[in-house]
Amino acid sequence: MAYKRQFYPGNSVPAKNRRRYLDPKVKLKQLRDVSMDDVVRIMGHRNPGEDYKSIHPPIEEGKEPECPIRKLVVPIEGAKHGDRVRYIQFADSVYFAPISPYQRAWMYLSRYRGVDTGTLSGRQIIEVRERDLEVMAKEMIDNETFDPALTGIRGATVHGHSCRLDENGLMFDGWQRYVWDDEKKEVVYVKDQVAIPLDRKISVGKPSPLSDLRKRTTIFRADGVDMRDDKEVTMYGLRIHKLRTLGGYQPWKVKGE
Amino acid sequence: MSSPIKPTAEYAEKPLPEVQILTNRLLSADSTERVLNALDVIPNIRQINMTGESLPKTINNGPGKGHANNHTERKIIHVGNQEVELRYLVGGFYIEMDVESEEELDARLEEIKAACDATIEHGYTLQVGRYLKYKPTLHDYRSA
Repeated sequence: MAYKRQFYPGNSVPAKNRRRYLDPKVKLKQLRDVSMDDVVRIMGHRNPGEDYKSIHPPIEEGKEPECPIRKLVVPIEGAKHGDRVRYIQFADSVYFAPISPYQRAWMYLSRYRGVDTGTLSGRQIIEVRERDLEVMAKEMIDNETFDPALTGIRGATVHGHSCRLDENGLMFDGWQRYVWDDEKKEVVYVKDQVAIPLDRKISVGKPSPLSDLRKRTTIFRADGVDMRDDKEVTMYGLRIHKLRTLGGYQPWKVKGE
Repeated sequence: MSSPIKPTAEYAEKPLPEVQILTNRLLSADSTERVLNALDVIPNIRQINMTGESLPKTINNGPGKGHANNHTERKIIHVGNQEVELRYLVGGFYIEMDVESEEELDARLEEIKAACDATIEHGYTLQVGRYLKYKPTLHDYRSA
């Protein structure tokens, strides 16, 4: 049966954005260009220019066991070279951040191969082989899912996604990894993702105005687009809830649903 | 039967009204200083408590554990002729009013509102009530 992949129901702005972010055929807009060296510095796993540390010899050298699945799956670059698995973690503010952790998980799994991701209330970690991670991290910092003020790159102590913003409109960070540059009106990283001071400041650009963020967000909010105003999304949620409940308690009633 | 433990501090015997001010944005240290100095000159204020988000002195976990945090907003501010060490990014004030009548409270409220309007840029909500404990309760008599 011919099957066309579907992503998310609904016609409201957040629903449409969710579809866009999830669909790997959609190329996301690039809003800024943070250099690869700076991305590596912010992540803090290695120094720019340093060799990748490996945990096993390149796959081509080693003797892989006879396995049909190994023959079937094309390894990603990092796996080919035997790189370590490293991570980047983003925290997304509830105040109309471009994306929220749960949609990040959907997006990562929909767009990338060879990743392991974990969702928490305010943050989303992604674990990949190092050299692939760097490419993905740069994409995610440069594209429209990132906002300098409302998205934080935080490896530990991520507290702040549900706090009030500060006077410059930045999401709260107890470790102050990024500060507001009042002259340039930009957000500047002064510490890496685990709050070890950086040698030099790294600018990630100007925050977007709220009017723009409201058009880009995937977050349903009572003071933005209420999820209940999007009938299809509400019905989809209710249907899943109903099927799960029936499946758990009266599975014979699922028939015909 | 009288209780064997007496509360450590003699406190107000009646619940004095408190003014709760929650700001729409978390305030920087300089803004907090301005707000407190504007409130400081208003009479009949018994005490001001503040709440907000904690700013640790050192990085408390992860690979950077032990490094100084050096948060620019964690510093000493000057209120009146007192020094106050800020350890929070302040987002709320609880002002206990030592007033005798409703009229006096209303007059002070107007002054507090004027002080906040002049110093809090991004707005705030203000309510009058009683938010902090003013007499011992069961919790204060529990055994350790």
